[in-house]
Amino acid sequence: MAAGTVKTRRTFLVIFLFFSLLFSSSGQSSFTRQLIVQLNPGWSAPAPPGGDLLHIRAVGDNDTLHFLFCSQGAPTLLLVHTNSSSSSVKVDWTPFLARNTTGSLRVEPESSVLSSTALVFSRVGDVHLKSAQTLNPHTQEVNLSLSLSQLLEYDDINDTASMTSDLFPPYELQNLSWSRMNSSDPFAPLCGSVVNSSGSICLQLSAFESEGRGQSWPRLLHTANSSQLGVWLDGVSPRAARSRFMLELQAVGGAYPLSRVDVHRSIDDEFTPSIFKASHWVSSANGSSEVVGFVRWRSVAFRRSKPALEDATPCRNSAPRPQSSEAAASGLIRAFYSNVETFGLNVSFGLAGEPFYNSTRFLSWTLLMGVGSPPVDSFSALVVAVMAVGLGAPVLVLLVGGVWICARKRAMEPTAAYEPIN
Amino acid sequence: MADFEERRSLLGDEDERFVGDREPQRGAGGTGGTGAMPAICDPRHLLHRVVVLVFMCFLGFGSYFCYDNPAALQTQVLQDLNLNTENFMRLYAWYSWPNVVLCFFGGFLLDRVFGIRFGTIIFSVFVCAGQIVFATGALLNHFWLMEAGRFIFGIGGESLAVAQNTYAVNWFKGKELNLVFGLQLSMARLGSTVNMNIMGWVYNKVAGLVGSPGYTALGGSLMIAAVTCLFSLICALVLAYLDKRAERILQKEQGGTGEVIKLTDVKDFPLTLWLIFIICVCYYVAIFPFIGLGQVFFIEKFNFSPAEARAVNSIVYIISAPASPILGFLVDKTGRNVVWVIIAVTATLAAHMMLAFTFWNPWIAMSLLGVSYSLLACALWPMVAFVVPEHQLGTAYGFMQSIQNLGLALIAMAAGAILDTRGYLVLEVFFCACICMALMAVVMLYFVDYLRGGDLNQSAAARARLQKEATSDAE
Repeated sequence: MAAGTVKTRRTFLVIFLFFSLLFSSSGQSSFTRQLIVQLNPGWSAPAPPGGDLLHIRAVGDNDTLHFLFCSQGAPTLLLVHTNSSSSSVKVDWTPFLARNTTGSLRVEPESSVLSSTALVFSRVGDVHLKSAQTLNPHTQEVNLSLSLSQLLEYDDINDTASMTSDLFPPYELQNLSWSRMNSSDPFAPLCGSVVNSSGSICLQLSAFESEGRGQSWPRLLHTANSSQLGVWLDGVSPRAARSRFMLELQAVGGAYPLSRVDVHRSIDDEFTPSIFKASHWVSSANGSSEVVGFVRWRSVAFRRSKPALEDATPCRNSAPRPQSSEAAASGLIRAFYSNVETFGLNVSFGLAGEPFYNSTRFLSWTLLMGVGSPPVDSFSALVVAVMAVGLGAPVLVLLVGGVWICARKRAMEPTAAYEPIN
Repeated sequence: MADFEERRSLLGDEDERFVGDREPQRGAGGTGGTGAMPAICDPRHLLHRVVVLVFMCFLGFGSYFCYDNPAALQTQVLQDLNLNTENFMRLYAWYSWPNVVLCFFGGFLLDRVFGIRFGTIIFSVFVCAGQIVFATGALLNHFWLMEAGRFIFGIGGESLAVAQNTYAVNWFKGKELNLVFGLQLSMARLGSTVNMNIMGWVYNKVAGLVGSPGYTALGGSLMIAAVTCLFSLICALVLAYLDKRAERILQKEQGGTGEVIKLTDVKDFPLTLWLIFIICVCYYVAIFPFIGLGQVFFIEKFNFSPAEARAVNSIVYIISAPASPILGFLVDKTGRNVVWVIIAVTATLAAHMMLAFTFWNPWIAMSLLGVSYSLLACALWPMVAFVVPEHQLGTAYGFMQSIQNLGLALIAMAAGAILDTRGYLVLEVFFCACICMALMAVVMLYFVDYLRGGDLNQSAAARARLQKEATSDAE
């Protein structure tokens, strides 16, 4: 009977190990890229007037991701995906600085471009996220470009957080003077000081070699196919005591526009306590629901630079709307794209009942932009381990004890019955 | 509460004075002195005792109403006083700290030092004063004053429950006692439920009066809640008067709790009793702190409105009020307490896992939680009486309450800290882990008890038969 007990134990151990392996392997398949950074490629020092161009090549085994971060005009992040590991970016600086010629920035060889997306930060104040997709008839391009175009501010007198309240004149981000980028520290924040205020709005780009997770909240999960962009407002004087901010983003892309925002509910809030929703602004391939490029964020902004749980403030976004070619506010867009289909989106920070911007005068928000499908969070090892041990131990004790009791009963049975006298 | 009923029936034969005092025919005064009194004023008549019962039930109402005030106003407390969750949970921890020690001395204080009447008044005053200090702390935006208020409130709260039970035992006997305990428990749950569902509305009204939400509005709402404590204090005074009057008319002595606490008995506790203690602690720390933090959890994860979130948070208490007597009856009839405890713990584990790992409607999980919580209370507390001799029962129950409060105090703060750093999923997993420990303990209890003859898990019929044999042997 002892052998039977041991066999039961062994079987259970195998099952337990199987499940733990299953859980641990449910994460993303990890692959790595090599990052090569170039500041102002093709331009000899000193820095070009009007803004810098940061080029990060993330080289994989047989493809390359080009991240182009430019402060000419409204800050823009352009992501180009090519199917060759030796593609490069060529800039004709004179037409590029003039901001009036398509093709002054090219990725060569042109035929290797799979997709490109651009995000433009155009305005602060009125959160208006525009996703722009350009239609390039030559290739199946998924261009993803995100631009922050406007920062808008509105006075929320009645604390209703409705975006139709009184809007102050927006801060056009193309008109801010941005700090210079440094080749020795390419991932330093790009800050622009706001007129008539001591504060600034900053953007920080991070590109990644492999899978990982951000260090500070919202601790977004990233892969080598994505880049993280943090946006924060630090010390900008609000124009009313009860004002809230909105950010306008424009996305310009290729054949597949960033046309819809999916809200994902997840049971896992380990890395963003009490936030169970993530929003994915996605572009899908024609006819299929497969996601080709994405912008991902958690519906939370933080009111302090080292936030605690109570510093979290929810954020809302409006539905993406097609826009006119206002995304031309960005030098990078004008240089790379020929005809521009822009989608715009507003992200507003703070709901009714939440503290106003004036309470801390700080707002930070992080997004992830990349190609392919957005990364999906899975449970951390701690949760899996605790549940496995917690559920396994009583079951184990029950099984072992039950088997032992049965064994004892069977061993005692012959003596329990009366034996006949003769 | 089944535990007191079990306790009393085991103590009853021994303590002649205890039982005899409630039978005026056997008492010294007999029927002399009553004269022609209207039924409602005659302490022996049912009608009068019903009036006393009403006051007895409302005696604990204020304490239970105000205990869960922080949970009912969680978002407002967090926002108006700028707290993180860990500090918020300290409001619960400070309630439990005095009871770690006081559970041992409550009975002693009521019997020897103050007497039941004066003792009840004193504890009611503590409850009232504690809530007022708590409200004042909110009005002045001093968190330390609020913590002090909860501490004072805690000194009175648990001991008041002991006093309430003592009154019940003094005025009612036999089968009535079960009903009375059931009613008292239901009133307690009613107080908690009313608190959960009403305080949000009270706060909004006060905020409207004051002009804007903030700590002044919070303080005002808590002061209004203190009115219930004042009401309970009045009940305590009335009860004291009626009890004294009954004593004078019926010429009986002041009743006592009948508990004897001897700390040295702890070394004699059997292994099964320690396992019962572990089950008690591990189980309740996954219930009360969870309810304390429940409102925001339902708002954030399930997108409930604040009013809805408070309602689903209170469903545990709402269900417990009718379910406790029914389940108590069920457990009494069938016996096999250990099996019922296993069922209750497993059901609670299922409820927590549903809340942690799915988006299923939380009404289901919370209803399951309410039923299993009631079931456990009906099955677990009487087990203590089965494993411990009568003269140690007081110590055993006192110890059980004491470590339960210790566990609650510590885990309340730990839960707040976990939530602040790791979020709701990890918090729920933590609660699941606590329930799993309780499950381990009850599985081990099953086997230990089985190997020692199976006293705890007998069916009710077998137990009754054994008891009859034991008494017939004694004769």
